Amino acid sequence: MESNAGTKETRSNLTASDGGEVTAFESLQFTDEIHRLILAPTTDNSSSFTALLELPPPQAVELLHSPDSPKLIAASPPNVEDFQGSFRFPSNSGLIERDARFSLFSGEANNSNEKRNSPESKNVSANPEKNVKSEPAETESSQPLVSDPTVEKRSIKRKDRENKVKGSTKKSKTVANENSEDAEKLPYVHVRARRGQATDSHSLAERARREKINARMKLLQELVPGCNKISGTALVLDEIINHVQSLQRQVEFLSMRLAAVNPRIDFNLDSVFTSESGSLMDSNFPSLVMPAIWPEVQGNGHRQQYQHQWHLDTLQQPVWGREEVCNNYITPENSLLTYDSSANSATLQANHLKMEL
Amino acid sequence: MNPSSLKSRFATRFLRALTQIHARKPICSSSPTEIFRRYRRIKAAADKSMAYSVRSRKTWTGAVLWKLRSRSCGRRSAKTSTFIKSQQAIMKRTRHEKQNKNTTTTTTTGEHGVGFGVEASELRELVPGGEAMDYCNLLDETAHYIKCLTTQVKVMKKIADFYSL
Repeated sequence: MESNAGTKETRSNLTASDGGEVTAFESLQFTDEIHRLILAPTTDNSSSFTALLELPPPQAVELLHSPDSPKLIAASPPNVEDFQGSFRFPSNSGLIERDARFSLFSGEANNSNEKRNSPESKNVSANPEKNVKSEPAETESSQPLVSDPTVEKRSIKRKDRENKVKGSTKKSKTVANENSEDAEKLPYVHVRARRGQATDSHSLAERARREKINARMKLLQELVPGCNKISGTALVLDEIINHVQSLQRQVEFLSMRLAAVNPRIDFNLDSVFTSESGSLMDSNFPSLVMPAIWPEVQGNGHRQQYQHQWHLDTLQQPVWGREEVCNNYITPENSLLTYDSSANSATLQANHLKMEL
Repeated sequence: MNPSSLKSRFATRFLRALTQIHARKPICSSSPTEIFRRYRRIKAAADKSMAYSVRSRKTWTGAVLWKLRSRSCGRRSAKTSTFIKSQQAIMKRTRHEKQNKNTTTTTTTGEHGVGFGVEASELRELVPGGEAMDYCNLLDETAHYIKCLTTQVKVMKKIADFYSL
């Protein structure tokens, strides 16, 4: 009996040791399985982009070339609309570079991709601007893209990884971001969709209009003094309104003033402004000259003098009124006197006014 | 002084008008009514000469001249509403000519005061011919109007100072 126990013990010992060995062996097997699990692609057939992002590029390429690609194509239509907002694809060299990096390409695939790349990007780079009219053109150009979205997805994913953007569903925006700003001069409005902005035609037109309005508000701010410091459209508009009102009131006051002032002499400054030199009329024909042009006579040039003459002039005004009506009926003395004095003062004043204006 | 600037054009025209006004009715009495009538005429002359001096085509100049003409022809014809309607027709035509199909948001008369509050309507009242314009053009017209008003004020101030020495 005791031997049985011993043997049992030994057997158990053996089994224990064996179990140890067995467990060691089994642990090796487990690690193998674990390795296999790790190495196997963990992604499902749904192939979400974020999952793809975690994988190194060759495996991503493998996945894309796998029968999952039809599903990717199916997923692309929502991005086509995003493409409408995109303007220029990265340069040919960049794409070719990326293509070259993917060593897992089959020879055919590589050639076809490159071929398809260059015409597409060329087409799009020929129309770098976003026009409302060119939308159909862009949809046309994007249709060949639908047939081969894999290239786009790959390049865009590269950028995503570079930019470390996670979960950004609007990949076209990142493409749009990298576009340069030089514009061709086309006769219609160019608007660029910026990052995170809607790209439908209505909002673009709205944005163009808003930019126009903002530019004009800036101009107005410069015109109106004291508007530069104010921020906010409502206050600026208030200032503009006040300024316009004050200007209109000033015009009214000035015209009141001009109406109230006694006009000393009726003189026509046309001659002065048109810089007609030389005497225009002889002093022998004052009647013809009367409301019209005064000859330029050398005046005395003293204010007091022609103030004195001014009194004379005002007295003579009714005489002039008569003289206007009947041209030939002039009292020569009066006319000559008034003529000379007023002529002097007229030219003096005309010269003064010309200087000031 | 630039001979062909807005300032000089306005100055010549205005002075000519002034002389005409003074020549027509020499001051016989300095009663307030006379002065008031003269003031009216002078102001009309100033606005008219300003409107004529402007080279580029602007809406407000047409509006100013229209108002003056309607006032001078008596009040029988030309209400402001008909003027506005004609202006709107012109604006729509020019809009269609210029901006073919680009602006999807057609800014029609229904756009008045939309989204810009009280100030836009006030501005429309101030600027002549402002009721028939969309907001964008209204700002344009305001800028030009302010520029012309400032030149007008400067020239008139100098003339008034000169006269009242």
